[in-house]
Amino acid sequence: MSCTSYDWKAYALGELDLPTRREAESHAAMCAGCREELATLRLTLDSLSTLREEEIPKRIAFVSDKVFEPRWWQRVFSPNFAAACVIAGAILVHAFAHPAASPELVQSQIDAAVNKAVAEVEARHAEQTERIFSAYDNRFSQMYRTAAGLVRQ
Amino acid sequence: MIFREVEDRDLIAKARRGDVEGYNLLVSRWEKRVFNYLLRLVSNREDALDLSQDVFLKAYQNLPKLDDPARFSGWLFRIAHNEAFSLLRRKRPETDLEFQPSAPATEGRLLPMELSLAVDSALKRLTDDQREAVLLKVYQGFKFDEMAEILDCPVSTVKSRLYTALDILKTVLAPAVALKGDALRGES
Repeated sequence: MSCTSYDWKAYALGELDLPTRREAESHAAMCAGCREELATLRLTLDSLSTLREEEIPKRIAFVSDKVFEPRWWQRVFSPNFAAACVIAGAILVHAFAHPAASPELVQSQIDAAVNKAVAEVEARHAEQTERIFSAYDNRFSQMYRTAAGLVRQ
Repeated sequence: MIFREVEDRDLIAKARRGDVEGYNLLVSRWEKRVFNYLLRLVSNREDALDLSQDVFLKAYQNLPKLDDPARFSGWLFRIAHNEAFSLLRRKRPETDLEFQPSAPATEGRLLPMELSLAVDSALKRLTDDQREAVLLKVYQGFKFDEMAEILDCPVSTVKSRLYTALDILKTVLAPAVALKGDALRGES
């Protein structure tokens, strides 16, 4: 039979502060009943500790939850947003480095190209006409000479 | 232990910022303890697993309301306690068995597996409240004041439940304890 002034359950469960613990231990050293009580409690707690923890049959995991959805700035400053910024920046730099020509300049370039092409065509046409007339003259001269020879004979 | 607490606090902060992976890591640290606590309390693996998932989902949703991250474990077990007793009330209201003395001790020496089965059986002879007090103290290592917060009752009630449970266990496990005591005396 243990002494009622000592809380051996609290002692065995580690709930006593150090001075109370020391006092209880001093008492137990002289009291067979309390030693027996404490020994039984310890054996009971040791027995309880033989119960093994079981593994959880299926791991618990979460993929998303509305409560913790990203804030607007977390959504905006995503990797996709960063990539879009880089591409937009590259387009702007390219636009400033290579500015587009004015409409007047483009029109004058087109006019010049057309005039040049027309001049080339006209030159080719004149050259061809000249060749035809020259060949005609040669042919006519040859026929005239042949006709004159026949008359003389 | 201090290092572990700091790490848990970091994971809680991450989870609060929306880092789901941070929360999953926190879950992986606590799921086994919570599952075993629930398993011993409700005595059914499927129920314990379902409850564990509910517990961590509720914890996830209510994490912004956790005032002190250092008290995460007690707060988590408070949720687990509420979920478990909600199920127990639905399944078996007021059907706690009265304690009956155990059968006489058998001769011979108990094997570790037999002792483990005897403990499992002995725990089931306790009321839900008594068993929970043993689970929180002996298996989860909470202090009396932490248990009072988890169970939302005075420390005196916690001690009363736990001490009664220990008296019952002492009696129920007496044969096993006696054999173990003999064995220990034989070894020394």
